[in-house]
Amino acid sequence: MSRLPFRFIFAGLAGFILFQLFTLVTFAGWLGDVPRSPSGWFHVHLLVLGWATMIAMGAVYQLISVVLQGSIYSERLGYVHFWSFLVGLIGLLVGFYSGQTACIAGFATLTFIGILLFIWNLAVTLMRAKQWNPITACVACSLAYLLFTGVVGMTMGLNFTFSFAGVWHERLFGTHIWLGTIGWFGLLIVGMSFKLLPMFYLSHGYPERLQYAIFTIWNLGVLIGATSFLCESGVLWKACGFSFITAAALIYNIHIVQIYHKRHKKTPGAGVWWATLSAYWLTALGIVLCVLLVLTPQSVFQEKTIVLVGWAYLWGWVALTILGYLSKIAPFLWWTFKYGPLVGKQKVPSMADLINDRYVGIGMAAIAVCLLILMAGIGGDWLAVARIGGSAMALCSLAYILLIARVFRR
Amino acid sequence: MELMLVQQVLGKGGRPMEELTEDSILESLKCVIDPELNVNIVDLGLIYGVAIEGRNVEVTLTMTTRGCPMHTAICGGVEQTLNANPDIHTVKVDLVWEPPWKPEMMSDAAKERLGFF
Repeated sequence: MSRLPFRFIFAGLAGFILFQLFTLVTFAGWLGDVPRSPSGWFHVHLLVLGWATMIAMGAVYQLISVVLQGSIYSERLGYVHFWSFLVGLIGLLVGFYSGQTACIAGFATLTFIGILLFIWNLAVTLMRAKQWNPITACVACSLAYLLFTGVVGMTMGLNFTFSFAGVWHERLFGTHIWLGTIGWFGLLIVGMSFKLLPMFYLSHGYPERLQYAIFTIWNLGVLIGATSFLCESGVLWKACGFSFITAAALIYNIHIVQIYHKRHKKTPGAGVWWATLSAYWLTALGIVLCVLLVLTPQSVFQEKTIVLVGWAYLWGWVALTILGYLSKIAPFLWWTFKYGPLVGKQKVPSMADLINDRYVGIGMAAIAVCLLILMAGIGGDWLAVARIGGSAMALCSLAYILLIARVFRR
Repeated sequence: MELMLVQQVLGKGGRPMEELTEDSILESLKCVIDPELNVNIVDLGLIYGVAIEGRNVEVTLTMTTRGCPMHTAICGGVEQTLNANPDIHTVKVDLVWEPPWKPEMMSDAAKERLGFF
Protein backbone atom coordinates (compact mmCIF):
# COMPACT_ATOMS: atom_id res chain seq x y z
CA MET A 1 0.00 0.00 0.00
CA SER A 2 1.21 3.49 -0.88
CA ARG A 3 2.49 5.62 1.99
CA LEU A 4 1.86 8.83 0.04
CA PRO A 5 -1.63 9.56 1.48
CA PHE A 6 -0.21 9.13 5.01
CA ARG A 7 2.24 12.00 4.43
CA PHE A 8 -0.58 14.37 3.58
CA ILE A 9 -2.85 13.13 6.36
CA PHE A 10 -0.11 13.47 8.99
CA ALA A 11 0.93 16.93 7.72
CA GLY A 12 -2.75 17.94 7.67
CA LEU A 13 -3.26 16.75 11.24
CA ALA A 14 -0.16 18.73 12.30
CA GLY A 15 -1.52 21.83 10.54
CA PHE A 16 -4.85 21.42 12.29
CA ILE A 17 -3.23 21.00 15.71
CA LEU A 18 -1.06 24.07 15.07
CA PHE A 19 -4.11 26.13 14.12
CA GLN A 20 -5.95 25.14 17.29
CA LEU A 21 -2.89 25.78 19.46
CA PHE A 22 -2.42 29.28 18.00
CA THR A 23 -6.10 29.94 18.73
CA LEU A 24 -5.92 28.56 22.27
CA VAL A 25 -2.70 30.35 23.23
CA THR A 26 -4.19 33.73 22.27
CA PHE A 27 -7.63 32.87 23.69
CA ALA A 28 -8.94 33.23 20.12
CA GLY A 29 -7.67 36.81 20.09
CA TRP A 30 -7.21 36.75 16.30
CA LEU A 31 -11.01 36.73 15.94
CA GLY A 32 -10.99 40.38 16.98
CA ASP A 33 -8.44 41.32 14.29
CA VAL A 34 -9.41 42.80 10.94
CA PRO A 35 -9.93 39.76 8.62
CA ARG A 36 -7.70 41.20 5.91
CA SER A 37 -4.59 41.52 8.01
CA PRO A 38 -1.42 39.45 8.34
CA SER A 39 -2.96 37.65 11.32
CA GLY A 40 -6.18 36.89 9.41
CA TRP A 41 -4.27 35.66 6.32
CA PHE A 42 -2.04 33.50 8.49
CA HIS A 43 -4.87 31.80 10.34
CA VAL A 44 -7.11 31.32 7.31
CA HIS A 45 -4.30 29.86 5.16
CA LEU A 46 -3.09 27.64 7.96
CA LEU A 47 -6.59 26.18 8.14
CA VAL A 48 -7.53 25.99 4.45
CA LEU A 49 -4.11 25.03 3.03
CA GLY A 50 -2.31 23.54 6.04
CA TRP A 51 -5.23 21.39 7.05
CA ALA A 52 -8.20 21.17 4.69
CA THR A 53 -6.29 21.15 1.39
CA MET A 54 -3.55 18.93 2.79
CA ILE A 55 -6.11 16.34 3.96
CA ALA A 56 -8.08 16.71 0.72
CA MET A 57 -4.96 16.03 -1.37
CA GLY A 58 -4.14 12.92 0.67
CA ALA A 59 -7.72 11.71 0.40
CA VAL A 60 -7.72 12.28 -3.37
CA TYR A 61 -4.49 10.27 -3.79
CA GLN A 62 -6.10 7.46 -1.84
CA LEU A 63 -9.62 7.58 -3.25
CA ILE A 64 -8.84 8.19 -6.90
CA SER A 65 -7.42 4.69 -7.15
CA VAL A 66 -10.66 3.38 -5.61
CA VAL A 67 -12.79 5.35 -8.05
CA LEU A 68 -10.72 4.43 -11.11
CA GLN A 69 -9.66 0.97 -9.93
CA GLY A 70 -6.11 1.80 -10.92
CA SER A 71 -3.04 3.53 -9.55
CA ILE A 72 -2.08 7.18 -9.92
CA TYR A 73 0.16 8.29 -12.79
CA SER A 74 3.30 8.86 -10.72
CA GLU A 75 3.80 8.26 -7.04
CA ARG A 76 7.25 9.85 -7.20
CA LEU A 77 5.69 13.03 -8.55
CA GLY A 78 3.31 12.84 -5.57
CA TYR A 79 6.25 12.98 -3.16
CA VAL A 80 7.81 15.94 -5.01
CA HIS A 81 4.41 17.61 -4.84
CA PHE A 82 4.22 16.95 -1.10
CA TRP A 83 7.57 18.52 -0.27
CA SER A 84 7.14 21.47 -2.61
CA PHE A 85 3.70 22.21 -1.19
CA LEU A 86 4.75 21.71 2.44
CA VAL A 87 7.93 23.83 2.30
CA GLY A 88 6.17 26.50 0.22
CA LEU A 89 3.27 26.61 2.66
CA ILE A 90 5.50 26.90 5.73
CA GLY A 91 7.34 29.83 4.10
CA LEU A 92 4.07 31.40 3.01
CA LEU A 93 2.68 31.20 6.54
CA VAL A 94 5.86 32.72 7.97
CA GLY A 95 5.50 35.48 5.36
CA PHE A 96 1.89 36.13 6.36
CA TYR A 97 2.69 36.08 10.07
CA SER A 98 5.57 38.51 9.76
CA GLY A 99 4.03 40.55 6.94
CA GLN A 100 7.11 40.13 4.71
CA THR A 101 5.84 40.57 1.16
CA ALA A 102 8.96 39.14 -0.52
CA CYS A 103 8.62 36.00 1.58
CA ILE A 104 4.93 35.73 0.65
CA ALA A 105 5.67 36.10 -3.08
CA GLY A 106 8.60 33.63 -3.06
CA PHE A 107 6.97 30.87 -1.09
CA ALA A 108 3.59 31.36 -2.76
CA THR A 109 5.41 30.37 -5.96
CA LEU A 110 6.77 27.20 -4.39
CA THR A 111 3.33 26.34 -2.98
CA PHE A 112 1.85 26.95 -6.39
CA ILE A 113 4.41 24.64 -8.02
CA GLY A 114 3.27 21.95 -5.58
CA ILE A 115 -0.34 22.54 -6.59
CA LEU A 116 0.64 22.37 -10.28
CA LEU A 117 2.38 19.02 -9.75
CA PHE A 118 -0.70 17.68 -7.96
CA ILE A 119 -2.99 18.79 -10.77
CA TRP A 120 -0.64 17.37 -13.42
CA ASN A 121 -0.45 14.02 -11.66
CA LEU A 122 -4.22 13.77 -11.28
CA ALA A 123 -5.00 15.13 -14.73
CA VAL A 124 -2.83 12.48 -16.42
CA THR A 125 -4.34 9.79 -14.18
CA LEU A 126 -7.88 10.83 -15.09
CA MET A 127 -7.11 11.22 -18.83
CA ARG A 128 -5.53 7.78 -18.98
CA ALA A 129 -8.39 6.11 -17.14
CA LYS A 130 -11.02 7.63 -19.47
CA GLN A 131 -13.78 6.82 -16.99
CA TRP A 132 -15.99 9.85 -17.07
CA ASN A 133 -18.89 9.95 -14.65
CA PRO A 134 -20.18 12.56 -12.17
CA ILE A 135 -17.52 11.56 -9.62
CA THR A 136 -14.50 11.89 -11.92
CA ALA A 137 -16.00 14.98 -13.58
CA CYS A 138 -16.44 16.67 -10.17
CA VAL A 139 -12.84 15.83 -9.21
CA ALA A 140 -11.53 17.11 -12.57
CA CYS A 141 -13.46 20.40 -12.28
CA SER A 142 -12.46 20.91 -8.65
CA LEU A 143 -8.83 20.49 -9.73
CA ALA A 144 -9.35 23.13 -12.43
CA TYR A 145 -10.77 25.50 -9.80
CA LEU A 146 -7.83 24.76 -7.50
CA LEU A 147 -5.54 25.71 -10.39
CA PHE A 148 -7.35 29.02 -10.93
CA THR A 149 -7.42 29.67 -7.17
CA GLY A 150 -3.66 29.16 -7.15
CA VAL A 151 -3.10 31.38 -10.21
CA VAL A 152 -5.17 34.19 -8.70
CA GLY A 153 -3.61 33.77 -5.26
CA MET A 154 -0.10 33.80 -6.66
CA THR A 155 -0.89 36.88 -8.74
CA MET A 156 -1.98 38.63 -5.56
CA GLY A 157 1.16 37.40 -3.80
CA LEU A 158 3.36 38.82 -6.56
CA ASN A 159 1.34 42.03 -6.51
CA PHE A 160 2.30 42.51 -2.86
CA THR A 161 5.91 42.78 -4.01
CA PHE A 162 5.71 44.31 -7.49
CA SER A 163 2.43 46.30 -7.26
CA PHE A 164 1.18 45.89 -10.82
CA ALA A 165 -2.47 44.85 -10.37
CA GLY A 166 -3.92 48.18 -9.23
CA VAL A 167 -7.71 48.01 -8.80
CA TRP A 168 -7.67 44.40 -10.02
CA HIS A 169 -6.33 43.26 -6.66
CA GLU A 170 -9.78 43.63 -5.08
CA ARG A 171 -11.43 41.73 -7.91
CA LEU A 172 -8.85 38.98 -7.70
CA PHE A 173 -9.40 38.75 -3.95
CA GLY A 174 -13.12 37.95 -4.29
CA THR A 175 -12.46 35.52 -7.15
CA HIS A 176 -9.71 33.78 -5.16
CA ILE A 177 -12.03 33.16 -2.20
CA TRP A 178 -14.98 32.07 -4.36
CA LEU A 179 -12.98 29.64 -6.49
CA GLY A 180 -11.14 28.16 -3.53
CA THR A 181 -14.11 27.66 -1.22
CA ILE A 182 -17.00 26.96 -3.58
CA GLY A 183 -15.08 25.59 -6.57
CA TRP A 184 -12.25 23.51 -5.11
CA PHE A 185 -13.58 22.41 -1.72
CA GLY A 186 -17.25 22.40 -2.68
CA LEU A 187 -17.09 20.33 -5.83
CA LEU A 188 -14.46 17.96 -4.43
CA ILE A 189 -16.55 17.18 -1.36
CA VAL A 190 -19.71 16.72 -3.43
CA GLY A 191 -17.98 14.48 -5.99
CA MET A 192 -16.24 12.34 -3.39
CA SER A 193 -19.48 12.02 -1.43
CA PHE A 194 -21.11 10.46 -4.50
CA LYS A 195 -18.72 7.55 -3.94
CA LEU A 196 -18.24 7.60 -0.18
CA LEU A 197 -21.80 7.96 1.12
CA PRO A 198 -23.17 4.85 -0.66
CA MET A 199 -20.12 2.92 0.60
CA PHE A 200 -20.62 4.04 4.20
CA TYR A 201 -24.39 3.42 4.06
CA LEU A 202 -24.00 0.23 1.98
CA SER A 203 -26.57 1.68 -0.44
CA HIS A 204 -27.51 -0.10 -3.62
CA GLY A 205 -30.03 0.60 -6.33
CA TYR A 206 -30.37 4.36 -5.71
CA PRO A 207 -30.94 6.60 -8.76
CA GLU A 208 -27.83 8.43 -9.97
CA ARG A 209 -29.45 10.93 -12.35
CA LEU A 210 -29.39 13.79 -9.84
CA GLN A 211 -25.60 13.60 -9.73
CA TYR A 212 -25.50 15.01 -13.27
CA ALA A 213 -27.81 17.88 -12.29
CA ILE A 214 -25.74 18.68 -9.19
CA PHE A 215 -22.53 18.66 -11.22
CA THR A 216 -23.94 20.99 -13.88
CA ILE A 217 -25.68 23.47 -11.58
CA TRP A 218 -22.77 23.63 -9.10
CA ASN A 219 -20.35 24.39 -11.94
CA LEU A 220 -22.65 27.08 -13.32
CA GLY A 221 -22.80 28.63 -9.85
CA VAL A 222 -18.99 28.58 -9.54
CA LEU A 223 -18.46 30.13 -12.97
CA ILE A 224 -21.15 32.81 -12.59
CA GLY A 225 -19.92 33.73 -9.11
CA ALA A 226 -16.26 33.87 -10.16
CA THR A 227 -17.09 35.97 -13.22
CA SER A 228 -19.17 38.36 -11.11
CA PHE A 229 -16.23 38.94 -8.76
CA LEU A 230 -13.68 39.22 -11.56
CA CYS A 231 -15.76 41.65 -13.63
CA GLU A 232 -17.05 43.46 -10.55
CA SER A 233 -20.61 42.83 -11.72
CA GLY A 234 -23.56 44.05 -9.70
CA VAL A 235 -25.42 42.28 -6.93
CA LEU A 236 -27.69 40.51 -9.40
CA TRP A 237 -24.89 38.37 -10.86
CA LYS A 238 -23.52 37.52 -7.44
CA ALA A 239 -27.05 36.61 -6.29
CA CYS A 240 -27.33 34.43 -9.37
CA GLY A 241 -24.13 32.60 -8.42
CA PHE A 242 -25.33 32.10 -4.83
CA SER A 243 -28.73 30.87 -6.06
CA PHE A 244 -27.18 28.26 -8.36
CA ILE A 245 -24.98 26.92 -5.55
CA THR A 246 -27.99 26.83 -3.20
CA ALA A 247 -30.07 24.99 -5.81
CA ALA A 248 -27.23 22.48 -6.36
CA ALA A 249 -26.89 22.01 -2.58
CA LEU A 250 -30.63 21.41 -2.30
CA ILE A 251 -30.53 18.73 -5.01
CA TYR A 252 -27.44 17.28 -3.32
CA ASN A 253 -29.50 16.96 -0.12
CA ILE A 254 -32.28 15.20 -2.05
CA HIS A 255 -29.69 12.82 -3.48
CA ILE A 256 -28.38 12.08 0.01
CA VAL A 257 -31.95 11.19 1.02
CA GLN A 258 -32.14 8.85 -2.00
CA ILE A 259 -28.91 7.16 -0.89
CA TYR A 260 -30.20 6.97 2.69
CA HIS A 261 -33.46 5.31 1.63
CA LYS A 262 -31.55 2.59 -0.22
CA ARG A 263 -29.18 1.90 2.66
CA HIS A 264 -28.60 -1.62 3.96
CA LYS A 265 -26.76 -0.67 7.08
CA LYS A 266 -28.39 0.81 10.15
CA THR A 267 -25.83 3.51 10.76
CA PRO A 268 -22.81 4.70 8.77
CA GLY A 269 -21.06 5.89 11.94
CA ALA A 270 -21.32 9.14 13.87
CA GLY A 271 -18.75 10.99 11.75
CA VAL A 272 -20.61 10.32 8.50
CA TRP A 273 -23.92 11.18 10.19
CA TRP A 274 -22.54 14.60 11.14
CA ALA A 275 -21.06 15.11 7.68
CA THR A 276 -24.52 14.43 6.23
CA LEU A 277 -26.14 16.81 8.70
CA SER A 278 -23.65 19.52 7.70
CA ALA A 279 -24.82 19.14 4.08
CA TYR A 280 -28.32 20.13 5.20
CA TRP A 281 -26.78 23.04 7.08
CA LEU A 282 -25.15 24.13 3.81
CA THR A 283 -28.52 24.28 2.07
CA ALA A 284 -30.08 26.17 4.98
CA LEU A 285 -27.20 28.67 4.83
CA GLY A 286 -27.70 29.09 1.06
CA ILE A 287 -31.44 29.68 1.46
CA VAL A 288 -30.88 32.28 4.21
CA LEU A 289 -28.35 34.08 1.98
CA CYS A 290 -30.72 34.04 -1.00
CA VAL A 291 -33.52 35.51 1.13
CA LEU A 292 -31.15 38.21 2.43
CA LEU A 293 -30.05 38.99 -1.12
CA VAL A 294 -33.66 39.65 -2.06
CA LEU A 295 -34.59 41.63 1.06
CA THR A 296 -31.39 43.53 1.93
CA PRO A 297 -28.76 42.85 -0.75
CA GLN A 298 -26.18 45.27 0.63
CA SER A 299 -26.16 43.60 4.06
CA VAL A 300 -24.82 40.38 2.50
CA PHE A 301 -21.62 42.09 1.38
CA GLN A 302 -20.84 43.73 4.71
CA GLU A 303 -17.65 42.53 6.34
CA LYS A 304 -19.43 41.02 9.34
CA THR A 305 -21.80 38.99 7.18
CA ILE A 306 -18.96 37.76 4.98
CA VAL A 307 -17.01 36.64 8.08
CA LEU A 308 -20.12 34.90 9.46
CA VAL A 309 -20.82 33.16 6.15
CA GLY A 310 -17.15 32.18 5.98
CA TRP A 311 -17.36 30.47 9.38
CA ALA A 312 -20.72 28.88 8.59
CA TYR A 313 -19.47 27.50 5.25
CA LEU A 314 -15.85 26.62 6.03
CA TRP A 315 -16.47 25.21 9.51
CA GLY A 316 -20.14 24.36 9.34
CA TRP A 317 -19.83 22.36 6.14
CA VAL A 318 -16.27 21.91 4.80
CA ALA A 319 -14.56 21.27 8.14
CA LEU A 320 -17.35 19.17 9.65
CA THR A 321 -17.47 17.03 6.50
CA ILE A 322 -13.70 16.51 6.46
CA LEU A 323 -13.62 15.80 10.21
CA GLY A 324 -16.53 13.39 9.87
CA TYR A 325 -15.05 11.55 6.90
CA LEU A 326 -11.66 11.44 8.67
CA SER A 327 -13.23 9.20 11.32
CA LYS A 328 -13.64 6.66 8.50
CA ILE A 329 -10.66 7.44 6.26
CA ALA A 330 -8.05 7.28 9.06
CA PRO A 331 -9.12 3.81 10.32
CA PHE A 332 -9.36 2.60 6.72
CA LEU A 333 -5.84 3.77 5.83
CA TRP A 334 -4.33 2.35 9.00
CA TRP A 335 -6.23 -0.92 8.88
CA THR A 336 -5.26 -1.51 5.25
CA PHE A 337 -1.63 -0.67 5.99
CA LYS A 338 -1.17 -2.56 9.26
CA TYR A 339 -3.78 -5.32 9.30
CA GLY A 340 -4.59 -5.87 5.62
CA PRO A 341 -1.59 -8.18 5.03
CA LEU A 342 -2.47 -10.22 8.15
CA VAL A 343 -5.99 -11.23 7.07
CA GLY A 344 -6.18 -15.01 6.90
CA LYS A 345 -3.00 -15.37 8.97
CA GLN A 346 -4.29 -14.22 12.33
CA LYS A 347 -7.32 -12.62 13.92
CA VAL A 348 -7.41 -8.93 13.05
CA PRO A 349 -9.55 -6.14 14.49
CA SER A 350 -12.35 -4.56 12.51
CA MET A 351 -12.13 -0.89 11.57
CA ALA A 352 -14.74 -0.07 14.20
CA ASP A 353 -12.30 -1.41 16.82
CA LEU A 354 -9.77 1.26 15.87
CA ILE A 355 -11.88 4.25 16.90
CA ASN A 356 -14.62 4.78 19.46
CA ASP A 357 -17.67 5.89 17.48
CA ARG A 358 -19.37 7.28 20.58
CA TYR A 359 -16.48 9.68 21.18
CA VAL A 360 -16.58 10.65 17.49
CA GLY A 361 -20.24 11.64 17.91
CA ILE A 362 -19.56 13.57 21.11
CA GLY A 363 -16.58 15.37 19.52
CA MET A 364 -18.50 16.38 16.41
CA ALA A 365 -21.48 17.59 18.47
CA ALA A 366 -19.20 19.62 20.76
CA ILE A 367 -17.48 21.29 17.78
CA ALA A 368 -20.86 22.12 16.21
CA VAL A 369 -22.19 23.67 19.45
CA CYS A 370 -19.00 25.74 19.90
CA LEU A 371 -19.31 26.94 16.29
CA LEU A 372 -22.83 28.17 17.01
CA ILE A 373 -21.58 30.05 20.11
CA LEU A 374 -18.73 31.56 18.08
CA MET A 375 -21.12 32.66 15.33
CA ALA A 376 -23.54 34.12 17.85
CA GLY A 377 -20.65 36.11 19.31
CA ILE A 378 -19.62 37.47 15.91
CA GLY A 379 -23.21 38.13 14.85
CA GLY A 380 -24.10 39.94 18.07
CA ASP A 381 -20.79 41.86 18.20
CA TRP A 382 -20.02 40.18 21.52
CA LEU A 383 -16.30 39.66 21.18
CA ALA A 384 -15.99 37.91 24.54
CA VAL A 385 -18.62 35.33 23.53
CA ALA A 386 -16.91 34.85 20.16
CA ARG A 387 -13.56 34.30 21.88
CA ILE A 388 -15.06 31.86 24.40
CA GLY A 389 -16.75 29.98 21.53
CA GLY A 390 -13.55 30.05 19.43
CA SER A 391 -11.36 28.83 22.29
CA ALA A 392 -13.82 26.10 23.28
CA MET A 393 -14.02 25.02 19.65
CA ALA A 394 -10.23 24.88 19.45
CA LEU A 395 -10.15 22.72 22.57
CA CYS A 396 -12.86 20.35 21.30
CA SER A 397 -11.21 20.19 17.87
CA LEU A 398 -7.89 19.31 19.47
CA ALA A 399 -9.49 16.53 21.50
CA TYR A 400 -11.27 15.23 18.40
CA ILE A 401 -8.18 15.27 16.19
CA LEU A 402 -6.19 13.48 18.90
CA LEU A 403 -8.91 10.82 18.86
CA ILE A 404 -8.32 10.48 15.11
CA ALA A 405 -4.53 10.50 15.55
CA ARG A 406 -4.80 7.68 18.13
CA VAL A 407 -6.00 5.40 15.34
CA PHE A 408 -2.42 5.33 14.03
CA ARG A 409 -1.17 3.86 17.29
CA ARG A 410 -3.63 0.97 17.35
CA MET B 1 7.73 -38.04 -9.68
CA GLU B 2 7.56 -40.20 -6.58
CA LEU B 3 7.61 -37.13 -4.39
CA MET B 4 4.63 -35.67 -6.30
CA LEU B 5 2.69 -38.87 -5.86
CA VAL B 6 3.45 -38.90 -2.16
CA GLN B 7 2.33 -35.24 -1.88
CA GLN B 8 -0.91 -36.00 -3.71
CA VAL B 9 -1.73 -38.70 -1.17
CA LEU B 10 -0.35 -37.11 1.97
CA GLY B 11 -0.72 -33.37 1.43
CA LYS B 12 1.76 -30.60 2.38
CA GLY B 13 2.20 -31.59 6.01
CA GLY B 14 2.89 -35.25 5.26
CA ARG B 15 -0.36 -36.37 6.95
CA PRO B 16 -3.28 -38.17 5.24
CA MET B 17 -5.39 -35.72 3.26
CA GLU B 18 -9.01 -34.91 3.95
CA GLU B 19 -11.49 -34.57 1.13
CA LEU B 20 -11.92 -31.01 -0.12
CA THR B 21 -15.50 -29.93 -0.60
CA GLU B 22 -17.12 -26.60 -1.43
CA ASP B 23 -18.68 -26.56 2.03
CA SER B 24 -15.37 -27.11 3.80
CA ILE B 25 -13.74 -24.34 1.74
CA LEU B 26 -16.62 -21.94 2.46
CA GLU B 27 -16.50 -22.79 6.15
CA SER B 28 -12.79 -21.96 6.30
CA LEU B 29 -13.37 -18.68 4.44
CA LYS B 30 -15.73 -17.52 7.17
CA CYS B 31 -12.67 -16.31 9.05
CA VAL B 32 -12.14 -13.61 6.42
CA ILE B 33 -14.07 -10.58 7.64
CA ASP B 34 -15.02 -7.43 5.76
CA PRO B 35 -13.40 -4.96 8.20
CA GLU B 36 -15.83 -2.13 7.47
CA LEU B 37 -19.03 -4.16 7.86
CA ASN B 38 -17.58 -6.62 10.38
CA VAL B 39 -19.33 -9.55 8.65
CA ASN B 40 -17.55 -12.52 7.09
CA ILE B 41 -17.31 -12.60 3.30
CA VAL B 42 -19.25 -15.87 2.98
CA ASP B 43 -22.31 -14.52 4.80
CA LEU B 44 -22.00 -11.29 2.85
CA GLY B 45 -22.47 -13.34 -0.31
CA LEU B 46 -19.18 -12.19 -1.82
CA ILE B 47 -18.12 -15.71 -2.85
CA TYR B 48 -19.50 -16.42 -6.32
CA GLY B 49 -17.96 -19.83 -6.76
CA VAL B 50 -15.50 -22.43 -5.53
CA ALA B 51 -13.96 -24.77 -8.09
CA ILE B 52 -12.01 -27.77 -6.81
CA GLU B 53 -9.82 -29.80 -9.12
CA GLY B 54 -7.88 -32.42 -7.21
CA ARG B 55 -5.94 -30.41 -4.66
CA ASN B 56 -6.21 -27.13 -6.54
CA VAL B 57 -8.81 -24.57 -5.52
CA GLU B 58 -10.09 -21.60 -7.46
CA VAL B 59 -12.31 -19.04 -5.68
CA THR B 60 -14.35 -16.49 -7.60
CA LEU B 61 -15.45 -13.54 -5.53
CA THR B 62 -16.65 -9.97 -5.71
CA MET B 63 -16.88 -6.91 -3.45
CA THR B 64 -19.89 -5.01 -2.11
CA THR B 65 -19.08 -2.04 -4.33
CA ARG B 66 -17.16 -1.71 -7.59
CA GLY B 67 -13.57 -0.77 -6.86
CA CYS B 68 -14.00 -1.45 -3.14
CA PRO B 69 -10.75 -0.34 -1.46
CA MET B 70 -10.69 -3.51 0.63
CA HIS B 71 -10.24 -5.85 -2.33
CA THR B 72 -6.48 -6.33 -1.90
CA ALA B 73 -6.82 -7.22 1.77
CA ILE B 74 -9.83 -9.50 1.25
CA CYS B 75 -8.38 -11.34 -1.78
CA GLY B 76 -5.08 -11.70 0.09
CA GLY B 77 -6.98 -13.00 3.11
CA VAL B 78 -8.74 -15.65 1.02
CA GLU B 79 -5.45 -16.74 -0.51
CA GLN B 80 -3.64 -16.91 2.83
CA THR B 81 -6.47 -18.75 4.56
CA LEU B 82 -6.57 -21.44 1.91
CA ASN B 83 -2.78 -21.65 1.62
CA ALA B 84 -2.68 -22.43 5.32
CA ASN B 85 -4.70 -25.59 4.63
CA PRO B 86 -2.17 -28.44 4.16
CA ASP B 87 -4.61 -30.33 1.94
CA ILE B 88 -4.60 -27.60 -0.69
CA HIS B 89 -1.75 -27.40 -3.19
CA THR B 90 -2.57 -24.30 -5.21
CA VAL B 91 -4.98 -21.42 -4.70
CA LYS B 92 -6.28 -19.05 -7.33
CA VAL B 93 -8.45 -16.05 -6.47
CA ASP B 94 -10.49 -14.39 -9.20
CA LEU B 95 -11.99 -10.99 -8.40
CA VAL B 96 -14.95 -10.23 -10.66
CA TRP B 97 -17.34 -7.27 -10.87
CA GLU B 98 -20.03 -8.98 -12.96
CA PRO B 99 -22.66 -9.71 -11.94
CA PRO B 100 -22.56 -6.85 -9.43
CA TRP B 101 -23.11 -7.78 -5.80
CA LYS B 102 -26.61 -7.16 -4.45
CA PRO B 103 -27.66 -6.90 -0.80
CA GLU B 104 -30.10 -9.77 -1.41
CA MET B 105 -27.06 -12.05 -1.74
CA MET B 106 -26.37 -11.77 1.98
CA SER B 107 -27.29 -14.60 4.32
CA ASP B 108 -29.98 -14.03 6.93
CA ALA B 109 -27.29 -13.86 9.60
CA ALA B 110 -25.49 -11.03 7.76
CA LYS B 111 -28.75 -9.17 7.14
CA GLU B 112 -29.62 -9.38 10.78
CA ARG B 113 -26.19 -8.17 11.83
CA LEU B 114 -26.37 -5.12 9.57
CA GLY B 115 -30.00 -4.41 10.42
CA PHE B 116 -30.96 -5.07 6.79
CA PHE B 117 -33.73 -2.80 5.53
